[in-house]
Amino acid sequence: MVVDSGTMEPAEEQQQEQEEEEEEEEEMLGLDSEEENSEMSDDELQEAFASGLLKPGMNVLVDQPKKHVNNVEGMKQCLADFRKDLPWVERLVLTNPPAEDVLSQAEGKVPKPANGDVNADDDFQREMFFYRQAQATVLEALPLLSKHGIATKRPEDYFAEMAKSDQHMQKIRKKLISKQMILEKSEKAKKLREQRKFGKKVQVEVIQKRQKEKKAMMTAVKRYQKGMTDKLEFLEGDKKQPGKDSAQGSKKAAAKKGPNAKRKFKDQKFGFGGKKSGKKWNTKESFNDVSSFRAKVANAKGGKKGKGGKQNKRPGKSVRKKMKGRS
Amino acid sequence: MSAFKRKRGGQGAVGKKAKKAKVVADRDGAPSETEQGTKNEVTVPAPVSSGKWTNKERVLIFSSRGINFRTRHLMQDLRTMMPHSKADTKMDRKDKLFVVNEVCEIKNCNKCLFFEAKKKQDLYMWIANSPHGPSAKFLVQNIHTLAELKMTGNCLKGSRPLLSFDPKFDKEPQFALLKELFIQTFSTPHYHPKSQPFVDHVYTFTIADNRIWFRNYQIIEEDASLVEIGPRFVLNLIKVFQGSFGGPTLYENPDFKSPNMHRREIRIAAAARVREKQMVKEMQKMKRTEAKQDLSKDITADVFLTPAPEKPVHIETEAPEPRFSNKNKRKAMKRQRQRR
Repeated sequence: MVVDSGTMEPAEEQQQEQEEEEEEEEEMLGLDSEEENSEMSDDELQEAFASGLLKPGMNVLVDQPKKHVNNVEGMKQCLADFRKDLPWVERLVLTNPPAEDVLSQAEGKVPKPANGDVNADDDFQREMFFYRQAQATVLEALPLLSKHGIATKRPEDYFAEMAKSDQHMQKIRKKLISKQMILEKSEKAKKLREQRKFGKKVQVEVIQKRQKEKKAMMTAVKRYQKGMTDKLEFLEGDKKQPGKDSAQGSKKAAAKKGPNAKRKFKDQKFGFGGKKSGKKWNTKESFNDVSSFRAKVANAKGGKKGKGGKQNKRPGKSVRKKMKGRS
Repeated sequence: MSAFKRKRGGQGAVGKKAKKAKVVADRDGAPSETEQGTKNEVTVPAPVSSGKWTNKERVLIFSSRGINFRTRHLMQDLRTMMPHSKADTKMDRKDKLFVVNEVCEIKNCNKCLFFEAKKKQDLYMWIANSPHGPSAKFLVQNIHTLAELKMTGNCLKGSRPLLSFDPKFDKEPQFALLKELFIQTFSTPHYHPKSQPFVDHVYTFTIADNRIWFRNYQIIEEDASLVEIGPRFVLNLIKVFQGSFGGPTLYENPDFKSPNMHRREIRIAAAARVREKQMVKEMQKMKRTEAKQDLSKDITADVFLTPAPEKPVHIETEAPEPRFSNKNKRKAMKRQRQRR
């Protein structure tokens, strides 16, 4: 809103007091800063200042905070008019805090402030709170009901329409059963997998042990045959238990290192089971993956030709004959 | 049948006999001896016994147009649970709200539960005492119906409920008023013709997080083991009015935020985040392109200059002497020591 100097002058002419000038400045300032000040005209501002409502300085307009209706008296009156005084049997109402939580070992029925205000975001706590409130009501109401002669248990042969149809209850039952079955199946499958792994390990160990024994036996026999030893202790079987233990201990330590590096690399590259067939396709990711590029290897021209032929090249017949002849 | 119902007072034996016949037909298998009076141990008293139904509460449950399937099912569930309820067709939204009062009068109901759906997203519920009494408007959230498979309980259709309230309802006047309204609306009158004589389920109303939570449990055992039947919903109070569907406002919930405002706030927050990121990017751009100072002289260069005396430069012309190691050659290597 533009400051209208035209309106300033008549104001000056009318009242030539010190206050008036101050007021003008203030008006100018006020009008500059508040553009929504169109309601308060200059005259009104003058009057307000004259009567002492406005003070010199910056006057800023603020919004009055929104008032929410809370007509306590009206509500109490309304309630008094509206309420019906009926015997308890008609309404079956009870007001009570939740029953004591056996599981969390709360003390007494006095609701502690910490427990009284349930946290609405914690789903489990909240639902348990409601559940316990209902429980408390039921516990209190049952003796009252029996006093009035109203039953809560219906007899076995009382057939009547239920809120949910039988069909629906069947569906619910089926769902519960299927959930349980799924759980059981998964448990069984897990156990079986564990067993199989364990069984395989045991089997492998047994086979290895047998092979080792066989080898030891054979070497012992050979040595006896060749005359290196004249003791026939190997025929007595495993007597060297304490000696064997240390060997086994070191073997276990070796086994603890886990699969060797080659196995690890292969696992890392090809994964542990799962889909094996489609793994080596040229996909975008595999094409763009240059992690296995070795510049040294790629740019080396020629280099060693596989260690100059085969390493363990078997010598020819003549050479072998010569060697045999010599030994 | 309905004609009998409408006549007030002094029904006499005629109506009673008619009711009894219908009741027998409903219950297949219940022996008829149990109905006839003699109250020995577990006899089933008939729901209607010679005009004892005095508390004439009738609730009209209906909705406006544009509700979705969940609301429709909720309404049907409420009608199932409350035998003292009546249904009506959908109200056109063009009509003003006080038309509802007239509909209630036509149907001879004195309470009303009216569901209003806006934008096919938000559901509002009006609960009113029809001719003059107070009414309240709520926003309904978290609706779960009877048909959900996780609610495994079941109850007799039309059995009377126990009502359970949080003690917080007595602390504030608006909640006290609402409590009275809920009691009168939801409790099935004693000896209502469509009610069952057993009490096997309980409604709970609890206040948490400034909202009213409604749950419905089935009473299985006498030791108060419960299973949830459903439906369940959460009511967020908006306003309480003195009249039915109108009249002066008695109470306005200061914590209520309309769903539109809520959605708008989320959108504004997201927009603000995006704008902030853009601003940051622009600032970075500006910084990059603005003329940078040429730092030819390092003003901190002489911070670490510590003047020290100069050392004379010494050039070695002869080879250094061999050093003698002070390794004790008599001492064996560690491994050999260990072996021993």
